[in-house]
Amino acid sequence: MNTAAPPARSNAVVELYSRNKRIITAFLAVVGVFIVGQILVPGFFNLHQVLITTKLASFIALFGLCQMLVMSAGGAGLDLSVGYTATFTAIFTATVMSGQNGNLWLAILMALGIGLLVGAANGLLSAYVRLPSLVVTLAMSQILQGIINVYTAGRLISGKPSPVLQILAAKATGSFPNIVFLLVAVAIVVMVILYRTKLGATLFGVGENETAAYLSGINTKRVRTIAFMMSGMLASLIGLLLLGNMGVAFKDMGSDYVLPSIAAAVVGGVSLQGGDGNYIGVILGAILLQTVLNLLVALGWGDAGKWTGFGIVLYLLLMAYVGNRRRR
Amino acid sequence: MESIPGNGRSKLRLVFARPEYSSLVILIVMVVIAAILQRNFFRPSSLFLTIDAFSPLILLTMGQAVVMISGSFDLSSGTALSLYTCVLTWVMKNGEPVTGLYALLLTLAVAVLVGVINGIGAGYLRISSVVVTFATSFIWLGVGLFIRPTPGGESVNWFNAFYDFGNVKGMPAVLSSIGSVVPPVLILVLVACLIWYIVSRTKTGRYIYAVGGNEESAYRSGISTARIQILAYVVNSLFVFLAALFFVGQNQSGDARFGDPFTLRTIAAAVVGGIALTGGRGSVYAAIVGAIIISLVNKIIFFANISYAYGTFVAGLIVIIAIAGSQVYTVYSRRAVAAKRTPK
Repeated sequence: MNTAAPPARSNAVVELYSRNKRIITAFLAVVGVFIVGQILVPGFFNLHQVLITTKLASFIALFGLCQMLVMSAGGAGLDLSVGYTATFTAIFTATVMSGQNGNLWLAILMALGIGLLVGAANGLLSAYVRLPSLVVTLAMSQILQGIINVYTAGRLISGKPSPVLQILAAKATGSFPNIVFLLVAVAIVVMVILYRTKLGATLFGVGENETAAYLSGINTKRVRTIAFMMSGMLASLIGLLLLGNMGVAFKDMGSDYVLPSIAAAVVGGVSLQGGDGNYIGVILGAILLQTVLNLLVALGWGDAGKWTGFGIVLYLLLMAYVGNRRRR
Repeated sequence: MESIPGNGRSKLRLVFARPEYSSLVILIVMVVIAAILQRNFFRPSSLFLTIDAFSPLILLTMGQAVVMISGSFDLSSGTALSLYTCVLTWVMKNGEPVTGLYALLLTLAVAVLVGVINGIGAGYLRISSVVVTFATSFIWLGVGLFIRPTPGGESVNWFNAFYDFGNVKGMPAVLSSIGSVVPPVLILVLVACLIWYIVSRTKTGRYIYAVGGNEESAYRSGISTARIQILAYVVNSLFVFLAALFFVGQNQSGDARFGDPFTLRTIAAAVVGGIALTGGRGSVYAAIVGAIIISLVNKIIFFANISYAYGTFVAGLIVIIAIAGSQVYTVYSRRAVAAKRTPK
């Protein structure tokens, strides 16, 4: 035993690295961006900046969870409707809550209901009718946007979030934003569900190999629909948080998060083919993207520099990850 | 044929089983609805305007169709369109006709480069095309904003030829009278069709279908799949470039932000036109039908006096119904064909 121990330990280290390669890479990339930022813009790397970045990244990371659930169920799943689901919920629950804690439970019920409906529609159309989820969820977000437009046409969106939501999403304990604690809690729950329960195994199983999952008695279509429903409900709850953070609801409050959330999931190592994904990676991916965006804003090149830089960095990150792809 | 009814019917079924026909049926229904709602739909002057309004989406959808047949997506074609209008109006100086030529050549080079960058990511590096072109769409947006932070710019007079012959100085009277009946933008659509006709007649055209249908076996049978995918993206870029010519001809200015809403409509249009999302199947000409259907949806919403607020709602609903309809139609007709073909 004693003689065999050292190689076994080094194997374990190697295995730990290779299993978490993307997470480690993403973490090193975040550190790297902060160092580059400190060199280019003195004062970029400080606690305040790190905390602000983490707070902004939290929302991307939460939406990234929706994408991860749908993506890991396979079938080239993506959910483009998360942004408008969140906006939809925020607009309709703001009136219900009207700044009081009393109706928060009603708002949460409404949010879950809205998310369930949207997710079920997405899931049924993409899993059972076999329509591409890209197009289905896009059309769904247009439908939601349309309803929002009709509702808000010629009237002010009234109502405020309940104080609890504001404390949760906008306030900070000491210098730590509360949303970060929430994100950590969500991450722990997600990791437990995905890696310690049957549901998680089923989800990854369907994404990894649909035929094998089907032959071992899993209703693959139902699993995919459930993934979309979970994504919808989560997006809806994030809508409440967005409302808490902003203080008011407005028409496009959620749409800016959709594409970054997909990017964060991919950068964080979630395979678009399904069957793979680690939520810690998604969070790091979100932080990385947000840090890059902050640095580009800090450089002061305006919108042009911000978007060009974001695109180039994303392209380079994807290139760097190609090493993990199947080679011929 | 009448003497062998069974045989004739099966042939007819085989014809109708092609996914393009389901979109033709939808098209006819849409045109009828549009003609009922807009009384002067078929009047030449109104058809002229309709064609002008529809052509950009047609060109973009043709490009998207080529990329989709090769097994990828292009989420960057909208911002690429904006970028080309920025480059065109950046190079051109009003009153110096020759700058128009420089602008054409430079933008053509930019378009090829855009296609190559997208193609390298999706084809050579084998990254998911949805993510790659999402990333590059930000690059095109950013570069467009560097060139033109706010909409504007100059154009040369002869660029009007892409939109309205009547505005071009020194245009022969015969041509401008033809141009007042036939929209000049049809020339651009014809050029696109011609490019695709030539490409699809070559071995390369076959390879695009092969790569989209089954990349692995295409690779194993010796096709350079990366090169074919890059080529598909370049062809797409050329079609987007043609659409940019139309926009600059029409507006005489460039705008880094206007193109983005087109992107996802091109995918919906291509799907409605019978292009398989999994690649390898579909016809680029049928994609034109899809683009017309998607454009007609917006037109119908407008003429049905539905308020703008309901517009996006109805448009989203119709896209879902249309693709669900064409999917169900395809499945059923394929079953019918399979039933015919199975030996008794």
